[in-house]
Amino acid sequence: MSEATAGRADSGNLDLRGDALRVLDHNELFGLQEYVQQHAAKRELEAAPSDEEVEATLAWSRGWEYRELNFAREAVVVNPLKACQPLGAVLAALGFAGTLPYVHGSQGCVAYFRSHLSRHFKEPVPAVSSSMTEDAAVFGGQANLIEGVENARALYHPDMIAISTTCMAEVIGDDVGMFVGSAEQAGALPVGFLAPYANTPSFVGSHLTGYDSMLYAILSLLTKDASPDAVVDPAAGSRPRINVLPGFDPYVGNVREISRLLDQLGVDVTVLGDHSDTLDSPADGDYKLYPGGTPLAAVTAAPGAVASLPLQAFSTRRSRQLIRDTWGQPVLDVAPPIGIRNTDAMLMAVAEATGTEIPVEVTAERGRVIDAITDSHPYVHGKRVAVAGDPDLVLGLLSFLLELGAEPTHILCTPGDADFEAAAYELLHASPYGAHATIWTGKDAWHLRSLVLTEPVDLIIGPSYLKGIAREADVPLVRFGFPVFDRHHLHRYPIIGYAGALNLLTWIVNTILDELDRKAPDYGLDIVR
Amino acid sequence: MTGQGSPGRTTVRVGSAAGRADAGGAESCSSGESARRPSCPLPTPGAASGGCAYDGSAITLVPVADVAHLVHGPIGCVGNSWETRGSLSSGPTLYRRAFTTAMGEHDVIFGGEARLREAVLDVGRRFRPAAVFVYLTCVPALIGDDVEAICRDAAAELGIPVVPVLAAGFAGTKNAGNRLGGAALLTHVIGTAEPSYTTAYDVNLIGEYNIAGELWQIQPLLDRLGIRVLSRISGDARYAELTWAHRAKASMVVCSRALLSLAADLQSQYGVPWFEGSFYGVRATSEALRGFAQVLGDPELADRTEAVVAEQEARVAARLTPYRQRLAGVRAVLYTGGVKSWSMVAALQDTGVEVVATGTTKSSPDDVTRIRGLLGADAQLIEEGNPRDLLRIVRESGATLLAAGGRNRYTAMKGRVAFLDVNQERHQAYAGYDGVVALAAEIDRILSSPVFDRVRRPPPWAAGTPSRTLDNPRVPLGLEG
Repeated sequence: MSEATAGRADSGNLDLRGDALRVLDHNELFGLQEYVQQHAAKRELEAAPSDEEVEATLAWSRGWEYRELNFAREAVVVNPLKACQPLGAVLAALGFAGTLPYVHGSQGCVAYFRSHLSRHFKEPVPAVSSSMTEDAAVFGGQANLIEGVENARALYHPDMIAISTTCMAEVIGDDVGMFVGSAEQAGALPVGFLAPYANTPSFVGSHLTGYDSMLYAILSLLTKDASPDAVVDPAAGSRPRINVLPGFDPYVGNVREISRLLDQLGVDVTVLGDHSDTLDSPADGDYKLYPGGTPLAAVTAAPGAVASLPLQAFSTRRSRQLIRDTWGQPVLDVAPPIGIRNTDAMLMAVAEATGTEIPVEVTAERGRVIDAITDSHPYVHGKRVAVAGDPDLVLGLLSFLLELGAEPTHILCTPGDADFEAAAYELLHASPYGAHATIWTGKDAWHLRSLVLTEPVDLIIGPSYLKGIAREADVPLVRFGFPVFDRHHLHRYPIIGYAGALNLLTWIVNTILDELDRKAPDYGLDIVR
Repeated sequence: MTGQGSPGRTTVRVGSAAGRADAGGAESCSSGESARRPSCPLPTPGAASGGCAYDGSAITLVPVADVAHLVHGPIGCVGNSWETRGSLSSGPTLYRRAFTTAMGEHDVIFGGEARLREAVLDVGRRFRPAAVFVYLTCVPALIGDDVEAICRDAAAELGIPVVPVLAAGFAGTKNAGNRLGGAALLTHVIGTAEPSYTTAYDVNLIGEYNIAGELWQIQPLLDRLGIRVLSRISGDARYAELTWAHRAKASMVVCSRALLSLAADLQSQYGVPWFEGSFYGVRATSEALRGFAQVLGDPELADRTEAVVAEQEARVAARLTPYRQRLAGVRAVLYTGGVKSWSMVAALQDTGVEVVATGTTKSSPDDVTRIRGLLGADAQLIEEGNPRDLLRIVRESGATLLAAGGRNRYTAMKGRVAFLDVNQERHQAYAGYDGVVALAAEIDRILSSPVFDRVRRPPPWAAGTPSRTLDNPRVPLGLEG
């Protein structure tokens, strides 16, 4: 019970104290004496262990002995930091205009995806499913898919239905490609209706794989007639055009930032696919089912661009291969443009590919951000940081942290693979600040708890799920990546480019300063930082 | 403020033999045969729809705080859902950990039983829970993992109960899952131990999940009446108290159509009578308290109840008066599932708000009857949750408030409609008498926000007059002249 509520521990009946207008939220209300007693009585009833016993066990669970037991864990995941394939497929579908994400399988998965994406982006998320039940488990899901696409077209009038699958459909072996053909034959879909599909079972890969598979399916379908020689970009003007692949990007600000930045170079951009307007639309009194997305005609013309620039590698593997092999288009395989040097490298790659020059405005912007870094570096330098998240975001962030002189200490990437490990190792060991870092893939938040409690850090950077660990370790958490459910609007900012570097720097340094003030003795509460 | 037999009265229905037959049929949608009855809403392929049976079983059981809840399935089932429920615990926090076998391709091909066995043993030894609940999901159900046998063996090895919850996602809707979760308790938990003592006033609360602390909020009322809650199913519950639910003298089913069958089975197997009620709203709370006296058949308790009801209603009426005056004429659309479609109607009406339409997507015929009783025959019922239609209904009915679950929050914001969260993500407890005041205060606060004036006005450079939906800005209570 906090001091504030202790002072009010008079009665549960607020009005008896003339307090009729004061309504407490649950954090305050249940700190009142009446409820504190109620909870104490419940503890007695449940024969709870003594406070000493709880403390002793907690202390043990925070030590090295438990850490080793914890890392010996094999069959059970505790507090996962990973989502599943169709969630990624839904996000990929949301990047295209007039496109309804459709998940073939049982319905509960889709309800989770909608909630999950809504809670992060703070936006409504349209997505439907085949609503398969026991009948479909026995007889297959063809009837559900045919009825489903027919209903979806009637209700939501999409231009394209992007079909991914759940575990259920994969386990029973549903052939979605054949079902789409059957739906055409049955008249549920007009012949030639755009219905790309991807196999996305949750028991393989992660949301990143699912994102890639759906993006691949959409790009393949919309550009199936493209050939490396014959393509003429109808939108081609005097300016060179490149395709940008954001990947599974939790920051809608990134797409807007890359377009702004490349516009300054005199480069036009087609985003494949652009979920920024879909998941960040204006409150103008009207609910639009499809408020954004890359126009499908622009996708068809995408093979005619000069090059493709993926902002993430791990969520665009197959798609990059398609672009390189089938479109015959160069892919600029640069590190995620997070931080100064990664942004530099990205801009130089784009300039080279498009025959443009980096203008003085961009150089000036870069200089301003570097100036900001020099202002902040004393507070960030030498700070030990635990980082958790998806591979590309983590690699980009690590690069920036090393530039700032922070010391990445524990790096945890649940969906990370051998390629991620190699990339992270190379990056970290090229810098004295990263030489002591350990890299963990396939591990969960409960592992991270052991890591930060046995080898303490100054700061944790990662998704909202880490807030309990941060509280227990008594260090601040900078919300970063996906999902961020409990802080507002971070996802509306860019984290890429120079502007993105400034945003990240601001969040990190001000979190450190907040913590410095919170823990400072009276004599150390300096007004100038 | 009690309903005097008026259409607005929230009735208490006492369970009976007839009630049981009813409960097995139209009231609760289960898997298997009854799921195909016309009265049980089946999901429509291709339309936006709600959670699955696994989700429902987790909603019903995960609030049990000292149990390790292990989800046997691929990463998605728990990876996309953990830590997002609002059920609070006064003690153990083990229930908030997300345990999963995170099945991979290898498990799908060779079976997930070995991994599950090891996972149960690991969780049981590592966390020493009061019990392990193992949740079946689509994949192990389809590949035929024998979850029950593994639970039986692991229980013997660990020396603690290991309870299989057999509600694979495809078994049906969220409601079906609620019911299957209740069935798991009845089969494996209830009746396996005895309370150290009993009283004549021991009751079960079934389907109360302590969202935002609502169970805690009503507990003092029951304490005053001398009613002891023997088993909470399952808000702020401990495993032990579930084991002796069969010794209660009465059960109240709180806002849960799906768990009526559990109450009915407790009656048929153990002779525990039950009634159905709600703690949302002044009238409903009074009726619920009277319900205990009625079902327990204790005239003295009935007298005590009347005294408490009279006192509390007078007290809360005084607290509500300023809000009821301010909220008079405010129109709201409620869009939520099942029983909340009527229980929340009653609560909103008690705050002075006029409910002009309510969602019935997941409601049973009985729910709809109750809604008609509360709203009158002309009530607009929303059967399809298409966001655009929802906003159209809000607009056409002149409503300025949408009360719904979290997923509709952002739809409301796009439509410039004030939004009240009535589902699991809220941080306000609305149960009992004081809960109505909290509800009224929250509605008033939301409607008084200057944000909705801003959002309704076009930018000053736009052509034309200010938006017709513009209301007179409300001044928040306490800030008036």
